[in-house]
Amino acid sequence: MESLVYIAGGITLTVIVAVAYYLAHESRYAFDRTFTYGFRVALQPTSGTFEKDLSLDPNASILTAHTEGADGPDEKEEGITMPSLETLKGSATVATGTALSGEFSAAQNSQELYRDDWRGAKTAKAGDKFLVYAFATPEFVGDKMALAWGPDQEADPRLAPYDFHLKLVRGPEGKPLPNIDIDLKSNRSGKVEVPVYIAQTDADRTKGYVFELSAVPSASQAASTMAGLAKSEWGPTMAHPRYGFIPLLLSTLMMTVIALLVAAPIGICAALYVSEVAPRKIREFLKPIIELLASVPTVVLGYFGLMMLAPSLVKIIPEAAGMQSGRAMITAALMMSVMLIPTIMTLAEDALRSLPGTFRDGGEALGLTKQETIKRILVPAANAGLISTLMFAFARAVGETMIVWILSGGSPKMPSALRDVFGPTRGMADTIAVEMGNVAFEEQHYGHLFLLGMVLFAITLVINLVAFKLKRNSWQQ
Amino acid sequence: MATISSVQLPNSDELVSRDSIRQRASLVKQSVLVTVGLGTSLAILVLIGVILVKGIPAINWEFLSSPPVEGMSAGGIWPMIRGSLLLMLGTLAIVLPLGILSGIFLAEYAGHSRFGNVVRGCVMALAGTPSIIYGLFGLAVFVLTLKMGISLLAGWLTVSLFALPMIVLTADTAIRAVPDSLVDASMALGLSRWQTIWKVVLPNALPGIISGIVLTTGRAAGEAPPILFTAGIYYSTAKLSNDWSALKQPVANLPYHLAEGYRQGGVIPEKIIWGTCLTLMGMVLLINLGAILLRSRMRWKSSLS
Repeated sequence: MESLVYIAGGITLTVIVAVAYYLAHESRYAFDRTFTYGFRVALQPTSGTFEKDLSLDPNASILTAHTEGADGPDEKEEGITMPSLETLKGSATVATGTALSGEFSAAQNSQELYRDDWRGAKTAKAGDKFLVYAFATPEFVGDKMALAWGPDQEADPRLAPYDFHLKLVRGPEGKPLPNIDIDLKSNRSGKVEVPVYIAQTDADRTKGYVFELSAVPSASQAASTMAGLAKSEWGPTMAHPRYGFIPLLLSTLMMTVIALLVAAPIGICAALYVSEVAPRKIREFLKPIIELLASVPTVVLGYFGLMMLAPSLVKIIPEAAGMQSGRAMITAALMMSVMLIPTIMTLAEDALRSLPGTFRDGGEALGLTKQETIKRILVPAANAGLISTLMFAFARAVGETMIVWILSGGSPKMPSALRDVFGPTRGMADTIAVEMGNVAFEEQHYGHLFLLGMVLFAITLVINLVAFKLKRNSWQQ
Repeated sequence: MATISSVQLPNSDELVSRDSIRQRASLVKQSVLVTVGLGTSLAILVLIGVILVKGIPAINWEFLSSPPVEGMSAGGIWPMIRGSLLLMLGTLAIVLPLGILSGIFLAEYAGHSRFGNVVRGCVMALAGTPSIIYGLFGLAVFVLTLKMGISLLAGWLTVSLFALPMIVLTADTAIRAVPDSLVDASMALGLSRWQTIWKVVLPNALPGIISGIVLTTGRAAGEAPPILFTAGIYYSTAKLSNDWSALKQPVANLPYHLAEGYRQGGVIPEKIIWGTCLTLMGMVLLINLGAILLRSRMRWKSSLS
């Protein structure tokens, strides 16, 4: 029988290690991530009217390594070939095209040239090369043309573990080759001029300038993943996903602080009342009532907030302050404070009750009133216990899932101004709960959710351990 | 102690008048505490009352005993109640022996040694770990690594992990609250350490342990995050089988139903939501009430013997 006891103790210890280990273990998928990136390039005349916005230019080539891309032509490129001189007639005088291979030899046949190049996202171990053919039509007027480039959609080349270079690798025969080699990380968009090359026939289209966009691994994926976490945008389902933890972390902290600011005074005053002021009979009656609240499931509290608190907050707070649907940071924080009150009250009352009775007698003997005894003797003596109470409450609020899920409005946004308190937001725990439901298991988004869980676990672990230490050092022991 | 040295010795008249001012100020500030204390309790009663008032119209025998129909927009919630009960019973079966044994280990064997306090700190930290973390752990270990899939079994294990630290803590507290004199007397009678635990410590600590277990089970039954990706399923017409293969199936349950109902957005009519909320809250409250009754009954019994 005795050995059973040791086994049970062992199991408890193993669980702690196992939780930390498995969270870390599953987080590895965040570091296995394959990076997406993308650029648009377009040839432009140096004078006259032309489309200056690359994302609107119908002849711009999209060069992208993308989660939806595949090697070889897929449905995104099929049928979108490099524009022929015939199709360009009357609409544009310059155009680009790309070969679905970084090698010249594979691009000799102009039938295999496309306008865009979508590839599967690569890991940082492998580089990538895109070839861009640039030409002008016989209608072109002028002696210079310009190659313009910019990041595709929301792709941010600075987040990728690559160095990007746009290099001129070949020029038309018989003309001197200008030396062009641009670092796309420091020059994310811009344009460069070259002497004009006019393709007289469709076969000439590939005989002019050839630019090479290359992605050379520069940092490890781990370093890049870590750098990505420190960004201020969370958008895992974007074409070029962002995994910045900062907005989630800040929103959670803000909600927690607001909830504590409301719940702490109420909870501690209620504890003082119940343990020091209330007559015995009232105490026996009040304590169970407050503890009753602790047994209301948080999902029910969430719905209560949604159907009762949110509508009334919408009425109270003017829309000009930023309040729209009632699902906002303030709503979640207020409902969280309701959840925290019984926790704070119970723990604070424990801390006060554990003070020796001699403290109260001493206060009385000094001629202090009850309120003075509380303020000058009991509260200072229970200080460590009260602080540890607030820390436990903090950890509880940081990890609260359902209330925030239901009431926060669910849009991950960097809180930047005071009015964001009245706007929709998204915390850490609810992000895990919401997104794990429709994520591909064991891929990078999944890995990042586990990583987020690890951050949450680390925060609560540290706070709880410090609070435990404080509590042990207080009068309770 | 600065407060004492700052008190000058005034003459008695001054003392009396200053005293009355202090008394009055004290009363004012005390009334703040009274207001907050009573106000909080009142607000809590109102909150629970609102849920009761809003939920009761939805509740009747048919609501509690029939499955949802017409894509959750009508009908009852019996499959979810059944799922929640199943989850709870399995959790209890796992947590009961493990929790008590670990509590004994912590209180009697690890004691107040340095090691014991490290373990106690760790258990406390685990008890304060957010339930969503256990959900993640259950997903990684039980659902994916051990290939249980999203199933009742994975749900049992995950919820047990969530509940275990809290139960160990309450068991530890209850066992350590047993007076040393009892233990010493038992030892003096020549009982072994294990006999002492079994015959003296446990019977005395039992009311505390049991109420801790029941309260924790109630809390665990209402938590959605641990079962979100380990056991839950939005109600489907697929029947839960009646044999052991049910262990491998996901179960619809109350917290998941409410969470997923929110995700789907507006599918479940408000009346049914209030009814489901009340059912879930009522279930947890009933369990807690059971704990309180059990505790007082056991106290009464032990006071007789």
